[in-house]
Order: sequence, then structure tokens, then C-alpha cells
Amino acid sequence: MNTLRRYIRPEQIRELSLLLLIIMAVMIFGTQIEGYYSARTFNRIATGVAIITVVAVGQTLVVLTRNIDLSVGSIVGFSAYFVGTQFGNNNDIAPLLGILIAVGLGAVLGLVNGALVAYGRVPAIITTLGTLAIYRTILVDYSGAKTVTTATLPKWLVDLQRVNLFSIGEIDIRLMVALALVIVLIFQLVITYLPYGRRLYAIGSNPDAARVAGLPTRRIVMTAYGLCGALAGLGGFMFLVRFGDITVVAAQGMELQVVAAVVVGGINIFGGSGTMLGVMLGAVMIGTLEQSLIRLPNISEFWKDALLGLFILLAVASDAVILNRLRNLWARGDLKLVSSPSTVLPQPGEATHVP
Amino acid sequence: MAEPSRRPTLEMRGISKSFDATQALDSVSLQLYPGEVHTLLGENGAGKSTLIKIMTGVHQPDAGEILLDGILIQIGNTAQAQNYGIAAIFQEPVIFPDLNVAENIFISHQGRGSVVDWRKMYRDAEAILAKLGVALDVRSPARGLTLAAQQSVEIAKAISLQVRVLIMDEPTASLSAHEVGQLFKLVHNLRDQGVAILFVSHRMEEVFVISDRVTVFRDGRWISTKPRDQVTPKSAINDMVGRELGDFFVRENRSKGDMLLSVKNLSKQGVFSEVNFDIHRGEVLGFAGLIGAGRTDVGLALFGVEPADTGAIILNGQPQPIRSPQQAIDLGIAYVTEDRRERGLILPMSITANITLPLLKKYLNILGLIHRQSEQDTAENYRKRLSIRTPSTHLEASKLSGGNQQKVMLSKWLNTQPQLLILDEPTRGIDVGAKAEVHTIINELAAQGFGIMLISSDLPEVLAMSDRILVMREGRQMGIFNHDEATQEKVMTAAMGQSWQTVEMVSA
Repeated sequence: MNTLRRYIRPEQIRELSLLLLIIMAVMIFGTQIEGYYSARTFNRIATGVAIITVVAVGQTLVVLTRNIDLSVGSIVGFSAYFVGTQFGNNNDIAPLLGILIAVGLGAVLGLVNGALVAYGRVPAIITTLGTLAIYRTILVDYSGAKTVTTATLPKWLVDLQRVNLFSIGEIDIRLMVALALVIVLIFQLVITYLPYGRRLYAIGSNPDAARVAGLPTRRIVMTAYGLCGALAGLGGFMFLVRFGDITVVAAQGMELQVVAAVVVGGINIFGGSGTMLGVMLGAVMIGTLEQSLIRLPNISEFWKDALLGLFILLAVASDAVILNRLRNLWARGDLKLVSSPSTVLPQPGEATHVP
Repeated sequence: MAEPSRRPTLEMRGISKSFDATQALDSVSLQLYPGEVHTLLGENGAGKSTLIKIMTGVHQPDAGEILLDGILIQIGNTAQAQNYGIAAIFQEPVIFPDLNVAENIFISHQGRGSVVDWRKMYRDAEAILAKLGVALDVRSPARGLTLAAQQSVEIAKAISLQVRVLIMDEPTASLSAHEVGQLFKLVHNLRDQGVAILFVSHRMEEVFVISDRVTVFRDGRWISTKPRDQVTPKSAINDMVGRELGDFFVRENRSKGDMLLSVKNLSKQGVFSEVNFDIHRGEVLGFAGLIGAGRTDVGLALFGVEPADTGAIILNGQPQPIRSPQQAIDLGIAYVTEDRRERGLILPMSITANITLPLLKKYLNILGLIHRQSEQDTAENYRKRLSIRTPSTHLEASKLSGGNQQKVMLSKWLNTQPQLLILDEPTRGIDVGAKAEVHTIINELAAQGFGIMLISSDLPEVLAMSDRILVMREGRQMGIFNHDEATQEKVMTAAMGQSWQTVEMVSA
């Protein structure tokens, strides 16, 4: 039991139960929607999930520091529209340059958020609520009420969403999905193995102690926003690839899905805990709901948002109640280990040092 | 003078309370009679605050009885305390700055109907303030009132609740002499109306002006209760400091090394001023004083957390304007905070991650990733060196006992290879065994040539461990004593603001 408890932490129980929930949801939708179990359903959901995942990974960096970025929806929309316009004007722009423009634009918008939060000391929720509206308004003004249409885009861009890496049976693993997986892996490594990641957790858990330990807390928070913006920019590019037709309201309200994915994925909204793999599961959950609910015959589309809201509430509540209970249970086990007579357990390998 | 025939308004009988390993109160008793000002004296940690928290329902006693008018009561929470007519005011008044004076006075009144009768509220507020002899506009917002005026509002609030027992916990600490005079008039006024007043102050001169009786606590125990005319400053201080020196580590005679740190005229507006001292390598400079004397603030200034406004910090002969913790760390200064939970440890992180946090750059492999094994080796090294008791260094810091958390903090800062170690209350709230271990560590570090600034409110500790002792009081440096000449009485007298000679004269 003790060894089991060491390998499975409460956080992992949470991820496992999320996986169960996803399976349950899929099974329920399977009984309600005709032809739900099909490669087409999978591919449609996967592409949506990929975009949410990429943006949620960025959001996670910010939430880990005990902040939040509500402007990601606007950044995604801005980036999608801006890059779409550039490609519309000049079909010869190199693909990589297009991606760089999207990421760079997002990073700049993110850094503006970060500067205001870290150096201007404006509370994160106010700052990004403000920039949510401001970025969107700048986009409306810039666009002059025109829309980007698929017809104006270069062919490779339109075809990109159907580019397939490999297939398992009828299920395609598309480039967009692979990209999201790579992003998740990279940032999971960043938060586990880079000093930067360790510092994000430290700041989120205890900002005062982090400062006294000599960490450049403001710079770290600002970079987190910069990265969040950059990933939202990338998300914007993926949005453009997926839809092709971009209006000024593109990705409006996406922050709700993204925050939901992050919170449902087990990132503590008060900072300092959670993993990228959890966030990916959160994005899968939210994406599955999003794409499946609209196919339910009896449910109005407006219920979709209400359900997302309900999930955020449940996730936060379960974090506060269930996870704390689990943690206490675990802690009691650990304390027993500490207070038992053989307190100093030899570490693996330690015995070899004894002459 | 208390007459046995009268019945006390509030009586505390055999109250005990402990927190983890610390016995905060050990079977203390106290009677508060109607119409008396009863002063409670004691060092830091004597148990005054704990008693006040029990009287106001913040804490529940482990043992003992509380009697109101001779009837056994239980004070489960602060609202109940209010219903019993027990109110407390503190050094920092609890004021809602955006509400006006009258609203503040009646803030905790319930059941006055669902609609506010503004005219009646203003009338009542004015009546109470008039009774107190305070001239304040009841319609002006509380924001911008002087501290003294805010105290008056607090007292008015207590009166509006038909207070019978008023606890005043260092209410004068932030007031000017003139304001103290006004406050005392209020206190006498209340006393004459039959309120029982428990007064806590560290200013000896005030105690003798205002009290009818004086009770002294020490180490959570009751020591004495005497009428004022039988108390002298000297007898009170003797009662307060008569702590046993206990089994302290035998202090080795240390040889002083080169000058490490020299602090000249260090000041920070409203916090501390004109602080001057030197620390040599291998020397322990103790900082004694009451809580709030500004010792921690000097430490925070040296470490760049809250930099000083003026003055010079000279390290190894070089003036160093320290503006941030990172800068201080680079200069070889380490600060082990008194506040393990708030400023010290990242509690949800592992012991290892806590120890390596300030120096993560040293634990990277060629790819720039954190090298877990070398991190682990460092943590294991300190676990053995400081005997941190834990099954594994992977354990979350939150799961350790106070003493072991303290050792993790020490490990973290020793690992930055400092020359100057600022230790702020390194043994507060840890058990006797761990305390002795920390003392051994301090001695070893001094012997290895570290310069140590030891801030401690534990008088015997600071006397036993330090080569010299700097005493602070209300942000001012009262003097530096050599180890040989320092006694508990001398240090406490300086910390309480009596010069030694004056006390002698008074008691003569």
C-alpha cells in the first residue's frame, strides 16, 4: 500500500478520473448521436482539441504563477486575422514566415499584458479583461469590417489541415494534432526540467518566499505572459488553417474554453501545481464536449457555454474539496513514515557509502 | 487595590493552552474587577497574546475555566465574546476606511432592523463620542483619521456594545506622547464607569501612570499580581526576566576575525533610524528587543528585501548599496527568515527543491536541464550534516516539523556559500531538542568564520550565543553590550526604554 501510494499521487488520481470522465462522456454521446463512433468524429474533435491545447499550454504557464490571461481569445483572433490578411495580400509569403508573424504578434501582445501585471502591478484579471476588449477593438478597427476568405488564401494553407502524418486504420493523426502533442511535450519538459519551470511553481506557491530566495519574480511572470501570448499567436495560425474564413469575431469567447481546459486539467487556479499532461486531458474533455454537444438534437447551442461554466465550477470545487481530502489522506500516510521509529530510511544507493 | 469581597467581572482560572510543542499558557489565573485598570506585563512569548485571544474567543483553552460575574461561560468565537461584553482593541485599529465614523462605531451591531436609520445612528454615535469627550465628525469617512482618532473610534465601538471588559493590547505603541495622554483620559473615564480594563504595554512609564494592579507572566506562567504601589520598574523587570538559563550550549571562546560588515547610520523612514554596528568574521552579534522593535526590519534591509533609505552598508571594506535579495546573495549575505511559512519555504515543494531554489543555475547539465541527481546529492549532504529527520528528501517541506523546516531553510542558505548569515528567530516554535541542535550549528558556523547576525526574542538564548548584544527599542538602537557585561536585567531594561541608571534611581 505504501509503495502504491508513493507511485500514485493525488494529482494522478485526478488525471485518471478525468480520463474516466472523458470515456464516459464519449460513451454517452455514442448512444445519443447517430454514427458518433467514426473516424470523421475523431478527426473533427482532434483538430478542435489541438487548438485549445496549444493555447491552454500557454495559459497554464501564466496560471502556475498565480495569474490569469483572459485576453487569449482576442490574441488568437487577432493573429488569425492579421496573418490571414497578409497571406491574402501576398500568396507568396513563406509558410515559416507566416508562422513566425503569428507567434511574434502573439508574443508582443502577451508581453504587454505581462508588463502591466508584473511591473505596473495591475491585477491580472483586470489587466487581461481590459486587453481582451482592447485587442479585439484594435482588430475591428484594423480590419475595416472586411473578412478573410478561404478563396484569397494560398492553396497550401487551405490544405494544411488535411495534411496527414500517419493513419491508424481510418483514424488520421494530422499535422495539427501532432503539433499540439509536441507543444505539450516540450512544455512538460520545460516545467519539469528547466530552472524556469521550477521558478514558475515557486512563484505560484509562495511569491514572497520566491522573492526572498532572490528569484527575479517580475521578469519570470512577464516571460510567462510573453510565452502565453506566443502560443496564442500560434493558436491563431492554427485557427486560420482550420477555418480559412476569418471574421473580426474569430475565437471570441475562446478564453472560456481555454481556462476551462486548464482548470479541469488540474492546474490550481491559485498557482503552483498541475502538469501539462493534465491540461491536455482537460482540453480533450472540453473539446469533446464542445464538438459533441452541437450534434445533440435536443440541446440548444447556448447550453454549451453553460455546461462549460458548470465544468469550471465543478473542477474548482473538486480541487478544493476532493483533492484536499486526498492530499490529507496521503499526508497522514507520509507522517506515519516520518514518526515511525525507523525514521531515517536509507535511500537507494546510500548503503554503498557505508564502509 | 482589589478587595476579596468584590466579585470580579471576568475571572480566568487555571487556563492552559499549547500549540504543537510549545506550552503557551500553563495554568494561569487572572481576575479583572469592575473599575480597575489591570496591566499585564511579560516578555515576548510570555503568553499575553494567547490569553487575550482566549478571552476574545479566537482560541479555545485546553484546560481551565472562564467566569463572567461568577458564572461559568464558554467563549466559542469573537461574536460570543462581544455578546458577553468583552472587547479588544489593538495597536493597529481595525477600521473600515471608506465607511464614516458612525458606521464604524456601529459596524458589528446586528438586529437593528433591515433599514438603516441614519439619523438615529448619527445621534447615537455623537452621544457616545460626547460621553468619551472626543470631538469627531461622525459623518466624515474614517480614512485619514489619525491613529489616535481611530483608537477613539474603536473605543466608542466597544462602548456601543456595552463593553464590560476592555482589553487594550499595546494601544499606545504607535501614538505620540500627546495622543497617549488623550487615550489615558479615555481609559480613566471608562474605568470610572465601572469597566474592567486589561492593559498590555511595553512602556514602563505608562504602566505606572495608568495601572491599578500589575500582573507579570513569564514563559506562559503566572508570576505575580501586585497593586501598583508595591511595584517598581526594577521589581517588574526582575519578575519578567527571571528565566532559567537552562542547559545552553557552552559557548566557546571565539577568536575574532577580520571586519566583515560595518553598518553606518542605517535608517528607514518610520521603521528604524541611525543603526550602527560592526560584525567580524567568526562573531555572533545578537539583536535583542521586543517584537516590533525594528530588528527584523534591519535584517530585511541588509538583505535587500526592504532596502533602507539612508546610511551605508560596508561589506569587506566596500560600500554596497543593496537593493534586492539577488544582489545580497551575490555578495554572500544569507537571510534565514523568522517566517518559515510566508517568506521561508515553498511548502508544497520537496525538501530538495527548496534547498536548491536560490542556486538552481549550479545544477544544470550540458543541455541546460536540471540535473536531478546532483540536486539530490546536495540535499542528502545537508540532511546528514544538519541531521534533518525525514524519510526522504523528496518529501514536501510542509510535512516536516518546525525544527526540521528550520534546518531546511538553513541548508538552503548555507548552500549559497554566504559569509554573513542573518538568523531571524532561528529557534522560535521548535522543540527543545531541535533548539539545542540549532545552537550547536550556530556555534560551528561561527567557528568556521561566518559572521552571524542573530535576531532573537529569547533572552537567555541571545545572551548565551552572542559575542555582543545590540538592543533595539521602537526602531532605535539603545546600546551594544559585551557578552561579559550583559545580563537579562540590563538587556530587558534597555529594550523597555528605561536606562539602567533611571531604574536604579526610581527604586532607591
